[in-house]
Amino acid sequence: MTVSALLADAFWSAVAALGFAILFNIPKRTLWACALMGATGYTLRAVLLNLGLTIELATLTGATAIGFLGALLARRFHMPVVIFTIPGAIPLVPGTFAFRTMIGILQLTNQNLLDDALILTEATTNGIKTGLILAALAAGIAAPKLLFQRRKPVV
Amino acid sequence: MTHNHPKPPLAYNELRDVIDLSLWAGQMLLQHGAASQRVEETIHHLGTGLGCDWIDILVSPNVIIVTTSSGQEFRTKLRRVVRFGVNLWVVTAVNDLSRRVTAGQMDRHQVRQALAEIDQEPLQYNRWLTVVMVGLACAAFSRLFAGDWPVFGITFLAAAVAMFVRQELSRRHFNPNLVVIIVAFIAGLIASNAALFRLSLTPNTALISAVLLLVPGVPLINAADDLLKGHLIMGIARGVTGLIVSLAIALGLLLAMRLLGVSGL
Repeated sequence: MTVSALLADAFWSAVAALGFAILFNIPKRTLWACALMGATGYTLRAVLLNLGLTIELATLTGATAIGFLGALLARRFHMPVVIFTIPGAIPLVPGTFAFRTMIGILQLTNQNLLDDALILTEATTNGIKTGLILAALAAGIAAPKLLFQRRKPVV
Repeated sequence: MTHNHPKPPLAYNELRDVIDLSLWAGQMLLQHGAASQRVEETIHHLGTGLGCDWIDILVSPNVIIVTTSSGQEFRTKLRRVVRFGVNLWVVTAVNDLSRRVTAGQMDRHQVRQALAEIDQEPLQYNRWLTVVMVGLACAAFSRLFAGDWPVFGITFLAAAVAMFVRQELSRRHFNPNLVVIIVAFIAGLIASNAALFRLSLTPNTALISAVLLLVPGVPLINAADDLLKGHLIMGIARGVTGLIVSLAIALGLLLAMRLLGVSGL
């Protein structure tokens, strides 16, 4: 993986996070931070994938970085942490896996038996991957709270 | 919480105000994309900050139920919650409000005023800026998926038009799932041109990237967060919402591809 490829990944994931931050009506003065969050999580995951980690583990690590960086930014801006973690997590969301699963399921209705097994396997794999990546994403984002901000529940 | 300095008991009508305001704040959070834990904690802080002794909260997919108690008195109320788009500005504003209430800086009347103002606040960004930036975001994804420049251009066009259609349909209060199918269909029609006119070596990247503006990222992340923190019903409901939206995207996209005879994804 070259440095220019890494920089390109960082740039485009920042643009993606920025677009979704605007779609989600993020307070204006946090926009740059949201772009930074998007670039951090995605680039870290890209590096780890390149080193041969599975996508689930790489997502967990990337999301944990987002969680901790988000907690720092939330303190700096005096804002809830979701403002930073949601746009940061968007480039890591397994959206493509999710609707590939659905497309696979829909295609099962009009194929012959031989293809069916293949499509079913692919749809199932994609579905399980979607679930695992999402679980890794949520656990990573929640990591600072789960590890360091433990409190007796108030509600 | 220490009980050495008990709060003065609230009158019955004061309890009514507290329950109203905490329900209102909770409804805004839930409608605009906050996770269940945050909704419950904010309602709790707001209600106890406004003077009641304790609050019990039930957050469920379509309704919030709250019981406030003070001294011997208690009141219970429920409020319907419908699904809105994600709006993190509202989440920030309500969170800030509850922080000020907890610090003792606001009374009931000021809270009511502030909540009404949050409700009236227009979106922070011009709709055309949103159209362009969402188009760019999807086009950026096509770069991340190793698409070439023609794919980048087509994805931008498809996603921007799709976002515009989404705004128009949502404004006319169409069923949200129907909106997703139609918008995915339109994005698919435009993005298919990459394959139809052989504009690129990786034409299918445009199809995948152009519908990413519809991906239910926030419901899915919140679903996992809710499940992780023990809000099982909410987690399952949000997960199912995410599944249905994904299905709607696939339906719209497949429909467009079949219509134009584009294959492979």
